[in-house]
Amino acid sequence: MNVPRVNSAGMDARRASNPERAREEDRALLRRYHESGDTHAREELIQRHLPLVRSLARRYAGRGEALEDIEQVGAIGLIKAIDRFELEREVSLATYATPNVVGEIKRHFRDKGWSIRVPRALQELNASMSGAIERLTGRLGRSPSIAEIAEELKTTPEEVLEAMEVGSAYSTVSLSSGPSGDEELDPLETIGGEDAEFERSEDRAALEPALERLAPREREILRMRFEEGLPQTQIAQRVGLSQMHVSRLIRKSLSVMREELLR
Amino acid sequence: MRERIDLVAPLSGDFQAVVRLIIGGIAERVDFAFEEIDDLQLAVERLLAEAGTVGSVRLSFEVGPDGIRTRVGPLSEHKVAEALRDGNAQPGELTLRRILQTVVDSFGVDEADDGRIVVRLEKIKGIA
Repeated sequence: MNVPRVNSAGMDARRASNPERAREEDRALLRRYHESGDTHAREELIQRHLPLVRSLARRYAGRGEALEDIEQVGAIGLIKAIDRFELEREVSLATYATPNVVGEIKRHFRDKGWSIRVPRALQELNASMSGAIERLTGRLGRSPSIAEIAEELKTTPEEVLEAMEVGSAYSTVSLSSGPSGDEELDPLETIGGEDAEFERSEDRAALEPALERLAPREREILRMRFEEGLPQTQIAQRVGLSQMHVSRLIRKSLSVMREELLR
Repeated sequence: MRERIDLVAPLSGDFQAVVRLIIGGIAERVDFAFEEIDDLQLAVERLLAEAGTVGSVRLSFEVGPDGIRTRVGPLSEHKVAEALRDGNAQPGELTLRRILQTVVDSFGVDEADDGRIVVRLEKIKGIA
């Protein structure tokens, strides 16, 4: 299950050409979702407003975090806004969602606390590594070496190693943590349609209580890695994340499971 | 020719990042791929997670042109043996054994002094 991707240029163009009509369509979709529980309407709302998330996420790029990670965090803010929107409000969904998206992104950065602990140059190197690894993996047809990554980024292998460690030192809070309230689903659990693979992993989860603390996507990533034996590069392609992100989620998930077993 | 690097590190979580960094540096010298480094780091990390947080642990890395042999321990036999068990694992259960089987090319256990054990991990270049 991926955070949905969208042709943002197309969506933006349609919205810009007739904003009033776009607001009316949003309102109709919100009504279908909130009054009839139509999850397809909710999904469409998410898709329609991902360009807004992208636009807001870009403002926070270059602060030591990969843009795709910021976008995913922002998408969670969007989903919360859609779920909490009250139809009586006169405000448009875009206006209502903006502070939610920005707030989620700011919270993400605050939770990481990178700005005071990690030199900015290393943060930036870490942020650019993800893209470099994807490019090199595509070009070479295999996982690149540290020397190759260093050459791609015009830096030294030692700095690449340090930047790797910087990346592994943080956890992708919103993607890895559980629901923030008892009544609230993890937003990522609610994106996209039904997926047979996830249903299968749900069955397995019943056998392993420690797995239950993980979001479906993390469970599926663990299943792909440790049951199917897929390499991170293939998992990354399947779930639509960077290899570095998959690596972090695997490490984080295993730690969470172990904590659960010790409780 | 195989080179050897020995390291004694505190088991406290504060030093895990240092251990990971050192493993990365060693693996880079044999030109491991990013993913292979990540695998070896994960193997050691999960093993150390079973070793507790008190005292220190010895890590030994034998570096050759084909890959890295790592020895971790002595470790408390009971704790690690329990984590390495597979016989009672239910389908879908993620044991340390299952993790190691996935991320390293081979592993084994040697007996050490006073009933403790040393875990051997072998990661070969280009197999990942």
